[in-house]
Amino acid sequence: MSTQLLSALYLASPALPIGGFAYSQGLESAIELGWVKDEPTLQGWLQGVLHEGLGQLDLPILWRCLAAVENNDRAAQHYWNDLTFANRETHELVFEEEQLGAALRKLLLSLNKIDAASLPEQPSYLLMFAVASGVMHLSAENALAAFCWSWLENQVTVACKTIPLGQTAAQRVLLHLMPEIELVTAKAKMTKDDDIGATLPGLIMASALHETQYSRLFRS
Amino acid sequence: MTAFEKGVTICPADKPANVEGFGPSRHWSAGLQLGFTKKAEKTVLSEMSFQGPLRVQRPFYPEAGVCHLYVLHPPGGLVSGDEVRISMRAGAASAALVTTPSAGKIYHSDSYDVSQVQATDIVVENADFEWLPQETIVFNGANGTLDTRVYLQGESRFIGWDIFCLGRTAGDQPFNKGRLTQKLSLFQNGKPLLSERQHIELSLIKDQANHENCLTAAWGFSGATVSGTLFATGFTGQVQPVIDALRTELNEQRKASVAAAHRCLFSVTYKLGVLLVRYLGHDSEEAKQLFVRAWQIIRPTLLQRPATTPRIWLT
Repeated sequence: MSTQLLSALYLASPALPIGGFAYSQGLESAIELGWVKDEPTLQGWLQGVLHEGLGQLDLPILWRCLAAVENNDRAAQHYWNDLTFANRETHELVFEEEQLGAALRKLLLSLNKIDAASLPEQPSYLLMFAVASGVMHLSAENALAAFCWSWLENQVTVACKTIPLGQTAAQRVLLHLMPEIELVTAKAKMTKDDDIGATLPGLIMASALHETQYSRLFRS
Repeated sequence: MTAFEKGVTICPADKPANVEGFGPSRHWSAGLQLGFTKKAEKTVLSEMSFQGPLRVQRPFYPEAGVCHLYVLHPPGGLVSGDEVRISMRAGAASAALVTTPSAGKIYHSDSYDVSQVQATDIVVENADFEWLPQETIVFNGANGTLDTRVYLQGESRFIGWDIFCLGRTAGDQPFNKGRLTQKLSLFQNGKPLLSERQHIELSLIKDQANHENCLTAAWGFSGATVSGTLFATGFTGQVQPVIDALRTELNEQRKASVAAAHRCLFSVTYKLGVLLVRYLGHDSEEAKQLFVRAWQIIRPTLLQRPATTPRIWLT
């Protein structure tokens, strides 16, 4: 259905004015440390973070936020919002969650699409992505896929600028990981509350070390 | 075991439900419940009950007012179906420091693969609490869960850490199969500030041939076998000087570890009012030394007390 498709494209677009391009989620640091240095190491990094990070944390929480928005369940929205921030392990990952959440909230408010009163004072990006998906009448499956694609495209862009990685190699990584998104979102929907959470030791070290990195392009 | 503090209640060990041999229903719970209360000038251990083999030593007072206590787990390790649960409650204005004299161990699980759980619940009610246990060694083939939950109320101040070591040592008995989940949760007046979950499951990776293993991947352990997380919260003054001092110290440690020719990582970050120091490397002694140094830097600012190193750490 083209409305669904267009809504997903809209939310996943790098042109969405929330500033997602400014964040690398520790990838810039992993490149600086030499852990990610070419196409295979980038693919390995993204595949791992997609499955073990997004798949175990972001997507199961987004899934619950989508339900909480759909059911207009404010208590659940606040609960998962708090838990999202608690699960962000470093200063910069919390900052990114706050900034993207605030920007998306501001955008939806200025378009008169939402009522601020029902939202937490400091909404996470995950919750706001769910709210935006609700506004666009996006199905939950499509919302998860759009979230992943937006993340993946952004990460590959970071790698292009920083490694640097050539355009063709970047497209190969994107196309290789595209089918993985469906696997990850299917698994994420089955995740039990108790199994939510993914502290990836290398990723969070990279993110924390980014705070003192000498030269950097990105805010996380 | 004698009642070493006036008013201490001691319950005898219950007969365990099913500790014979092994099997899917084998389940042996050990529990320890401790309560700390401020009385006149010092904090006393006002409540102590246990089930199974958990014990405490007599509290001692190497510094004014603060109750120092060692928790002992005489069998020393968990086999399939074992569950060790330590619950501690610190009452208003109390100050306690609890540690363990020896490393915890989670052994290879039996063929029924019943999980092995080590849970710690800490409730701090407008008080100061320090939970500084030795590391837990997770043997190859274990199916373990380490679950630490801290509930702070009012203006409480807390510092704690959790360190695990995969396999006995890097060369001797490496960890190449089994499961481990380490959970750390910290709540302040009901709101979650920290919720971390490190999960290692090696059987799962096998059926996904293209996947790097979480122990080898750069985003994962990258070959490291020891992971430690120190977390502290309740700062009322400036935290930046502490962060700066920690980073300077970590740089010194990094130089020393580079000299020792094995890679390890340290980091410090501060989020939602929680200061976090992390270690990812190969040596639990190095992790503990680093955390003791970090604790010595954090403690004077957080608790306005000089860092008196518990004697047990010096041996």
